[in-house]
Amino acid sequence: MTIEMLLGAGVLAAMLRLATPILFAALGGVITERSGVTNIALEGCMLMGAFFAIFAADRTHSLGLAVAAGVLAGVFLAALHALASVTFRADQIVTGMALNILALGLTSYLNFEVYGLTGTPADLPTIPVLPIPGLSGLPLVGDVLGRQSALVWLAIVVTVLLQLYLFRTIPGLRLRAVGEHPRAADTVGINVYATRYLAVLASGGLAALGGVYLSMAVAGSFTDNMTGGRGFIGLAAMIFGRWTPIGALVASLIFGYGDALSVTLQGTSIGDVRIPVQLLSTIPYVLTIFAVAGFVGRSRMPAADGQPYESEGH
Amino acid sequence: MRQPTAQWAQGPLIPVISVLVALLLGALFVLLSGNDPIAAYVALVRGAFGSPYDVTETLVTAIPLTLAGLSVAVAFRTGLFNIGAQGQLLVGALAAGAVGARFGDLPAILLLPMTVAAGVLAGAGYGAIAGWLKATRGVNEVITTIMLNYTVVFVMHWLLQNGPMTARNAFGTPASARIGDGAILPIIIPNELVPLSRLHAGLLLAIVAVVVFWFLLWRTSLGYELRAVGLGPRAAAQAGIDPARRMVLVMAIAGGFAGLAGMIQVSGVFHRVFDGFSAGFGFDAIAVALLGKNSPIGITLAAILFGAFQRGGTIMQSDANISSHLVEIVEAIVLFVIAAETIVRALAKRRGTPAEAL
Amino acid sequence: MKRVLALALISTFVIAACGGGASASPSPAASSAAATTTAPAAPAVKVGLVTDVGGLNDKSFNSLANQGRLDAEKDFKVTTSVTESKKQEDYVPNLTNYAQQSYDLVIGVGFLMTNSVWKVAKQFPNVKFAIIDGAPANDKGDTENLPNVANLFFKEQEAGYLVGVIAATMANDKVGKATHNTLCAMGGIPIPPVDRYIAGYQDAIKTIDPSATILNGYSNDFVDQAKGKEVGLNHISKNCDILFQVAGGSGLGYIKAATEKGVYAIGVDADQADVAPGTVITSALKRVNKAVYDTVKAVQGKAFKAGDNFFSAANDGVGYGKLDPVVPANAKAAADKALADIKSGKITPKDQLQVK
Repeated sequence: MTIEMLLGAGVLAAMLRLATPILFAALGGVITERSGVTNIALEGCMLMGAFFAIFAADRTHSLGLAVAAGVLAGVFLAALHALASVTFRADQIVTGMALNILALGLTSYLNFEVYGLTGTPADLPTIPVLPIPGLSGLPLVGDVLGRQSALVWLAIVVTVLLQLYLFRTIPGLRLRAVGEHPRAADTVGINVYATRYLAVLASGGLAALGGVYLSMAVAGSFTDNMTGGRGFIGLAAMIFGRWTPIGALVASLIFGYGDALSVTLQGTSIGDVRIPVQLLSTIPYVLTIFAVAGFVGRSRMPAADGQPYESEGH
Repeated sequence: MRQPTAQWAQGPLIPVISVLVALLLGALFVLLSGNDPIAAYVALVRGAFGSPYDVTETLVTAIPLTLAGLSVAVAFRTGLFNIGAQGQLLVGALAAGAVGARFGDLPAILLLPMTVAAGVLAGAGYGAIAGWLKATRGVNEVITTIMLNYTVVFVMHWLLQNGPMTARNAFGTPASARIGDGAILPIIIPNELVPLSRLHAGLLLAIVAVVVFWFLLWRTSLGYELRAVGLGPRAAAQAGIDPARRMVLVMAIAGGFAGLAGMIQVSGVFHRVFDGFSAGFGFDAIAVALLGKNSPIGITLAAILFGAFQRGGTIMQSDANISSHLVEIVEAIVLFVIAAETIVRALAKRRGTPAEAL
Repeated sequence: MKRVLALALISTFVIAACGGGASASPSPAASSAAATTTAPAAPAVKVGLVTDVGGLNDKSFNSLANQGRLDAEKDFKVTTSVTESKKQEDYVPNLTNYAQQSYDLVIGVGFLMTNSVWKVAKQFPNVKFAIIDGAPANDKGDTENLPNVANLFFKEQEAGYLVGVIAATMANDKVGKATHNTLCAMGGIPIPPVDRYIAGYQDAIKTIDPSATILNGYSNDFVDQAKGKEVGLNHISKNCDILFQVAGGSGLGYIKAATEKGVYAIGVDADQADVAPGTVITSALKRVNKAVYDTVKAVQGKAFKAGDNFFSAANDGVGYGKLDPVVPANAKAAADKALADIKSGKITPKDQLQVK
C-alpha cells in the first residue's frame, strides 16, 4: 500500500468521477426535501435519464438533444410523483417506491424492445471531456482536474449555484420556508403548491443528469438497472450533508473516495495477507458510516418534510 | 423520514375501484406494447393461484416478504425507517447457515431452535448497529442501513467465494456447507396432496412471527410505548423507556424479524447459503409494509399480493411470452394507484362538493 | 381496516377469476400465441429456456443462449419459450413450470442452476434437461449425473488461451499501441467459469511472452459498468495495453476504459467486435448458442446424450472472434496454430490462475 494508491492523482480523479452521479441525485434530493416533499424516486429518475439520453442520442445523433431528452424523462417521472404527492397528497414514500419500480420496468422493457439482443449501438455521441487550459499543466491538480468530463464540472457548478440560491436569494428563502412552515408561507402569499411542484420537477431533472452521466459519459451505452442503487446512496449523501448542496458535495466525495480506493487497493496486502477484493468493495460504505458517525450532533430535516400540505379555502 | 400518516378510505368501494383501475391501466399498457392483455392476466392469475402447486409457490415467496415487511413495519411504528431489512436478512441467513452446518450432527430438537436463534439474533445484532449509531451519534438510520446493506453483500461474497464459509462443492457457484438434517424446515404439504410442493414449515414460523408482532405492539406496555412514540415527539417525551435504548431495541427487533426471514430461506428452501440468494426481499418489504399500513393482517395480505405478482409474473413470461419487465410495470402501476387512492377519493369528492378544499 | 378489506377483496376476485381450477398441469394454450409454426405431422418438440438472474440483455451469456433458442426455433420448427429468473428462489419453480407442461427439453442457463436442475430432473424423468456450464449437483453438493440431463461444459481456458496468443504476439512485437508489454484481465467475481478464461489467457502469455507483466483484477459485479471502467483505468495507469474482460456487463466498462485511453481490449462469450470497433481486437468465444442449438437438434433427432458434453476447440464450441485490422498476420497465424494444437491435444491450456 503506497501513498500513491491512497492519495495519488489517479485515486483523486476517480473520486470525482465516482462522486458525480451520486452528487446529482443528492442535489435533487436537497431541493425537493427543502421544499417539503420526500422524493425517493431519484433512482428511478436517474434510470429514466440514463435510458432516454442514449435512446435520443441514437435517434438524433445530437448530444444536446440527448441530454435534453434524458433530463425531460427524469422530469416526467418526477411530475408523476409531484402529481401524486403535492396535488393528491398521497403517501410520498409509497409513490416514490412505485415510481422506482416503474422506471426500472419501463427502461428495461424499452431497452429490450428497441435494442433486443444486440444492445445499444456503439457509435453514439459522447459527453465531451473538458480540458482546462493552464490547469492541466499543474503537477497534482492538473491530473486530477485537468481532464474531467463536462458533466463533472456541471455537477460542481450546480452545487455552488444551488447553495447560493437556497441560502442567499429570496426565492431560495421562500422555498425553504415552504419546507419549514408551509402554513406560514401560505399566509404571506407564497404559493406552496407551485413551489413544491417546481422543486420536485427540478429534482427529477437533476437526478436524471446523474443518469445521463452514467450512460453517456461513463459507459457509452445503456444496460438494465445500470444505476445500481446510486439514487439511494444520493439520498444518504443528502442526509449526511444535512440537506445542503455543499454538504451533499462533501458526502458524495467521501463516498467517491472510498469507491476509488476499492479499485486502486486491489492486489495489495497487509503484511503477508492479501486483502480480499470483495472486502475492498465494502470500503465506501464503511467509510461513509464512520464519517457520518464522526460528525457531532444530529442533523435535522426540514420541519415539514414528507407531510402533504392542505391549504384552506384557496 | 416520518412514519406515513394513515388515511382511511370512506368505504370499501374506493380501494376496490382503485385496484380495478390499476389492473385496467396495466392491461392498457400490455395492449399498447402489442400483447394480449387477456392472455397476460390469465397467465398471471393462473401462475399465482391456478393450482394448489401454484398457490404453494406464491406462499413460498410470501413468507420471507411477510417477515421482512414486519421488520420494516415495526420500525415505521416508532418513526424509524428501516431500509436495512435486506442486509439483516442476509446476516441472519449467514448465521443460520453457519450454525446449521457447524452443528449439523445434532438432532432437530436441539439444532432447529439453535438455527432459529442464530438467524434471529444475528439479524437483531445487525439492526442494533444502526439503532445504536442513531442513539449515540445521531446518525440517521437511513444512511446506516443503506450502507450496511451493501456491506453485508460484499462480506458475503468474500465469505462464500474464497473465505471461511466457502464449501467445496460441485455446484460451480459459491455456497456454504449444507446444514444438518436437524436444521431443515420440512415440507409441510405431503407429496400425495400437492406434488412437488416446496411449502415448508417456515410458514408456521411466519404465522408465529405475525402473532408476535401483533402481541408485542398491542398487548405489551413496550409496544404501547413504541406506538406512542411513533405518533409524535410529545408522546415520545412521555414514554417510559429512555429514547436511546428504545431506538436500539426497536432496530434490534426489526433486525430479528428480517434475520428470521433469512434463516427460513436457508432452512426451508436452499439448505445452505448461496452467494447472492434472496435478492430483492428487503426492497419489496418496504412496499409491503406501507401497503399493509404497518398492520399485521395488512402486511400478510400485501405480502401475498406481491408473492402472487412475482409468481404470476414469471408464468406470464413463460406462458404468454410477455416480457418479465412488463410485469414490473404492471406491479408498479398497481402499487401507485393503490397508494394514491386518495386520487380516486379526491376525484369523488370534487364531483360531489366543488367548494371542497383541494 | 378498509385496507384489509380491499386486499381481501382483491384476493377473492383473483381466485374467483381463475375459476377455482385445480389442474396440476395447466394447458399451455397461451404459449402457442408466441410460438412459430409447428411441424404438421408429429407434435412439435417444445423447448424451454430458463435464464439465471442476469437477464436476457447481457450482450453475452444469456443473450447467446437466447440466440441459440431462436435459431433452433427457426431452423427446426420447434416451439420455444424463455423465462427470466428474478432471484435464485425462482429456479426450481421456473424449471418445474416447463416440466409440468410436458416440455421435451428444458435448459437451465448457468452454473447457478446445477442443484435446481437436479431436483426437478429427478422428479420428471420423462423430460430432458440440459445445464449450460454445469452438471446436476445433489443436495450434498456432489455431482450426480442423471440419465435425462445433458451437462454442457465449455473449455473456457481454451478460448482464453487463443486470445492470449493474439495478445502476447502483439505485445511481443509492440504492435500499434501495445508498447508497454503489459497485459491484463478483469473478472466479474473470482469463480471457476470466470477464472478459467483468465487462466488460459495467462498461460498463453507466459508461454509466448514470458517477460510480459500480467495484471489481474475483479469488478465484484457483473452489471455495473462504472466499476469495470475504474478497474480498467487503474490497469491502464499501470501501463496495461490489452484488456481482457470476463465480466459480462461490467466488462463493457472495462472495454470503455480501453477505448477512452486509446489502447486495446478483448471481448468475452459473444463476439464483441461491434461493441468498440478499433478497440476490441478479438473476443474469446464461448458458443453457448451452438450448445443450445445442438442440444435442441439432438432432442428432435432422438440423439440426446446425457451426461458430460464438452464444447471445446475440438468441436468448434470455443474459438476466437473477429479480428480487428490492427491485428497482424503473424498473430492470427499463431492463434490458428494454437487452435490446431489444442484440437490435436498437443497443447492443454492451464485452467488455474497463475497471477491472482
